[in-house]
Amino acid sequence: MTRVDETVEVSVNQSGEPVGFSWREERYLVIARPVRWFARRDWWAESARANRGIGAAVLETEMWGLTANGVQGTAKFELVHSRNGNRWQLVRVYR
Amino acid sequence: MSQFTHLHVASAYSGHYGVNRPEHLAEAALAMGADALAVTDRNGLYGAVKHIGACLELGIAPIVGVDLAVLDDQAQPIGRAVVLAHGHDHGLGWRTLCRLVSEANRHGKKQPTGLTVQQLAQLVQHGDQETGYTASATVLLSPDNPFGKLALGANRESALHALSQWRQHFVAPGSLAVEIASLLTRPGTEWSTTQATRILELADQLEIPAVLTNSVRYLTPDDALTADVLDAARNLEPLGMFQPQPNAQAWLKPHDQMVELAQEICRDYRRAQKLLDTTAALAARCRLEPATDCGWGKPKTPEKSALGITGNPFELLWQKAHDGIHWRYPNISQAKLQQVQHRLAQELMTIHKLEFATYFLTVADVAQMIRDMKIRTAARGSGAGSLVNYTLGISGVDPIENDLLFERFLSTERTSLPDIDIDVESARRHEIYRAIFRRYGASRVTLLSMQSTYRGRGAVRDSGLALGLEEDRIDEIAKSVWRFSAGSFRAATGRKPELAKVAEALENDRTMNLLVDITERLDRLPRHISMHPCGVILGDSTLLDLTPVEPSGIELPMSQFDKDDMDPMGLLKLDVLGVRMQSSMAYAVREIERVRGETLDLDAIALDDPATFKAIRTTNTLGIFQIESPGQRELTGKHQPTVFNDLTIQISLFRPGPMKGNMIAPYLDGRHGFAKPSYPHPDLEPILRETYGVVIFHEHVLRIFNKMTKCGLAKADELRRSMENPRKKPLIEEFFRTKATENGYSPKVIEEVWGTLEGFSSFGFCKAHGAAFAMPTYQSAWLKTHYPTEFVAGLFTHDPGMYPRRLLLAEARRLGVKILPLDVNKSTDEYLVEKTPDGQLAVRLALTEIQNVSQTEIKRIIKNAPYKDLGDFYLRAQPSRRTLENLGLLGALDGVAGVANPDLTQLGQGAGADAESLRATRGDVMAKVRQLNAVHKRPKINPDQPTLDFIDLTDHLPRGNAAPSLETNVLNELKLMKLDVSQHIIELYREMLDEMGVVRSDELVGLRNKTDVLIAGVRVATQTPPMRSGKRVVFLSLDDGAGCADATFFDEAQQRCSHVLFNTRLLVVAGKTRRTGVRGVSVMAENAWDLKELYREWQKRKNTAKPSALQQSA
Repeated sequence: MTRVDETVEVSVNQSGEPVGFSWREERYLVIARPVRWFARRDWWAESARANRGIGAAVLETEMWGLTANGVQGTAKFELVHSRNGNRWQLVRVYR
Repeated sequence: MSQFTHLHVASAYSGHYGVNRPEHLAEAALAMGADALAVTDRNGLYGAVKHIGACLELGIAPIVGVDLAVLDDQAQPIGRAVVLAHGHDHGLGWRTLCRLVSEANRHGKKQPTGLTVQQLAQLVQHGDQETGYTASATVLLSPDNPFGKLALGANRESALHALSQWRQHFVAPGSLAVEIASLLTRPGTEWSTTQATRILELADQLEIPAVLTNSVRYLTPDDALTADVLDAARNLEPLGMFQPQPNAQAWLKPHDQMVELAQEICRDYRRAQKLLDTTAALAARCRLEPATDCGWGKPKTPEKSALGITGNPFELLWQKAHDGIHWRYPNISQAKLQQVQHRLAQELMTIHKLEFATYFLTVADVAQMIRDMKIRTAARGSGAGSLVNYTLGISGVDPIENDLLFERFLSTERTSLPDIDIDVESARRHEIYRAIFRRYGASRVTLLSMQSTYRGRGAVRDSGLALGLEEDRIDEIAKSVWRFSAGSFRAATGRKPELAKVAEALENDRTMNLLVDITERLDRLPRHISMHPCGVILGDSTLLDLTPVEPSGIELPMSQFDKDDMDPMGLLKLDVLGVRMQSSMAYAVREIERVRGETLDLDAIALDDPATFKAIRTTNTLGIFQIESPGQRELTGKHQPTVFNDLTIQISLFRPGPMKGNMIAPYLDGRHGFAKPSYPHPDLEPILRETYGVVIFHEHVLRIFNKMTKCGLAKADELRRSMENPRKKPLIEEFFRTKATENGYSPKVIEEVWGTLEGFSSFGFCKAHGAAFAMPTYQSAWLKTHYPTEFVAGLFTHDPGMYPRRLLLAEARRLGVKILPLDVNKSTDEYLVEKTPDGQLAVRLALTEIQNVSQTEIKRIIKNAPYKDLGDFYLRAQPSRRTLENLGLLGALDGVAGVANPDLTQLGQGAGADAESLRATRGDVMAKVRQLNAVHKRPKINPDQPTLDFIDLTDHLPRGNAAPSLETNVLNELKLMKLDVSQHIIELYREMLDEMGVVRSDELVGLRNKTDVLIAGVRVATQTPPMRSGKRVVFLSLDDGAGCADATFFDEAQQRCSHVLFNTRLLVVAGKTRRTGVRGVSVMAENAWDLKELYREWQKRKNTAKPSALQQSA
């Protein structure tokens, strides 16, 4: 398992599920049904505020597990999706 | 397809778990298009009635269940289950749920709230093998049970086995279901979709119905942060120290998202559809019909048999009420008798129409029972407006004499059970509860509970705990939270000087920002359930089918419903409120009888005693019920009451409403002739004459409505109540204007009166309540005036007031009541009245006043008294070393050791006068105490043998030790009793205060208005009453031994001395005198200082080497 922390370009289908992404100038295609889950964050240790209406964003993170094919073969990837600005962050790679 | 129904939802009444109030959940469900919603609170039905009420109002179907722990054979929790009551079965499902919840709570806090699977199965199923089994509730097994955990592992068989083991207990169709819920956690972990999928497979294989929920604990994802904080409060651990909730998914998701979840879990369209259908079917079965299922709105009172009645209850009530006439009105004139009978008949007809005869008989029965127990009682609230209550002995206030209205209390326009509140001696309250349980049987009686909610300080404390702040820091912040709602904490930091430190920290301290944010989130949430201080629920023998109960702090069962739930559930709540003043007065009456041999019926004293009113007018009202607060004292000075009705008015005026409504000034102006009372119309003069044209009482409003619209008093009260409802108000206005016009009132009059009524609506006060309160006010004032010694003894023993006890001591001094020091031969656990050798009465301090002495020690000292000498006391009372020393320091051993202390003789202590003992001092006693405390092991008492062979304990005291100074004695008294018995504490600083020119509080009244003064004293009260302007004003009362001085701090002064304003005990205040009335003077403060700090400075400046005990203590 390799930890990374890089923004990646992700293309999604109509239901918002990733179908492919580009990482380090390489293109990956999702080859199995992607899995989404929500992991929690310790907002009391990292967030500046916890006021009403700040939203669950400080408490939880949307995670995606993808099995994808690239030039170097198939691997599993974990991405963080922040709805705020629709940013995708690659955090783990399992080869 | 029908909309998704949530069947597993915790409301905020799931203490420290759920986040949102039932009404908000129901509104949200309706907005999502749902036509039903469940509330399934943890461990009880705490939010159930509020949920049903909200659903009824919104027109959706209520479903109620409970979320309980599943227990193993050792009563340890192994998972959770929701039990949902079935509906439309004439209350069977509701009854099952109530009984089941009571059973789960049977052991109180001694074991986790829950049931074993066997118990659950047994409680929800009915029938036998021959007739077959039916279910009246459904047990919904949560994924966190053993089978759910096993389902995550590789061994599918073990999971299947676990679930099938449980399944076998449930034979009735619909008695069992499995909860399918995914919180979308990481695949393969608990609450993940993977887990839900596997549990669904297990359920399918065992043919157990599967039901989809979202295991909801909050309304929106944002509320999940609040849930984190509640988890910390429940676990009593900071965040990060325990396993938190997995994410923010447990919210009330809308239909579409629930359908998506179903599809994600089932991965099959048809299976998903079936899951949703099963859920809908269970929801349908559990929809409650509140009237037939829960007895919603139907009044329930004890059966005739429980009251010992055979005939017609109304005839009996009629008889009893009439029998009371001659008791209440002895020697009544014929004309008055007719008036009384007429009113009584009218009231009784209303009671008859409402079918409340049994209710009144019940309350009268309880009141009679309390009187038979020789316990003082008084009514409070609108019930005092009823003549029936008066002749039945429920209330002691004459409604005719006091001009009170029955319609304010009860009318045919309303069908809810009326509230009758009975005040009793606080010390004997539990005795009464037990007697009520005995009389009506445990199946008809429970105590009422109450939910306390998070307010400022509590919210700060639990937030601080959640964030792991140090205790001292939390304490400091919590203390600065003063009288504002925690919901606006951040806004308050910018406005309030005492929060300056917090405001500063907000600039750069992240933790402080979080603290403020989560404190705001906690504000107003239910915090914990406890026994209501006075409520008892009386029902018929089905009471325990309608309300779940749990053990209370005093062992008697307590309903999980609170006072707001009573009316909707048709339950009769009787408030038996413990009032310390009633205990104090009963104690005084007993002491009067014991010491003087006089029997006194406090309820029969004349209500027009001039001496009593004269004493009240001096404004020395400390210890008098309701009018002892600084504000009431000031008002007493301005008002100068002369008759009973004045007390009723004064008590009613000093309320947030009348104060905000600016009613006090016009009333006082009218009373003192500064302004001519104005009446909008001559017709209203008879109604408003007593208050010089000012509308103060609800009764005024009723009469005005009735007079000008001829609507009748019952309808008038309905109009008054509806005025508070903004939707109904326009209709009432129209009614009033039309009818008043028809009755010939001019537009100008109508305009003016409507303006008053409109402004009044939320401000007024029920006169009956004021009159009911005025009774103990008068009675306590009367006792204080005529029996001050016994009265003070009662105050000390039962501590009814708002002030610290040392202020009582100061008041006793002012009254000339002698206080005798502690004496192990004479003091007990009460403040006894004693005759001194010179024939005067005095109050003996009680042993309970000493801090850090155990109850057992006190009991032993009392039981073995009297003692012949110090050695005898040492051997038989067996005090601990610390207690022996403390008793010695406080002079409690002086008597037994034969000391005659000049300071104490001065205070009235008659000591043995033989020459030898005159020479002994408290210093000698302390030397002896040290000798005794040095003994390694206390010798045993042997009756056959003189005990004193190893050390001569009866030996004379060591002699020649100096007596401690008066200063030392006072400091010891303050340290060990928090009472400055020998001398007022302020006297210790007298030299400096005199040098500074500080004025004594009793000298203020002789000063001209706006004189610059300095006052000093001990803080006795701090108040920030609501002000019309919205600006905060702080009232401080300082006691300096001569009485109380009141200082008022406006904005600027508050800024100047914010650091001492709320926390410092001994203060010096500078300001200008301000005359507020004939006897009223207060100080408009400009600045304030810490007296001790000034004293230190002063001593430094004096630079004398005189060592003082104060330096050590300061």
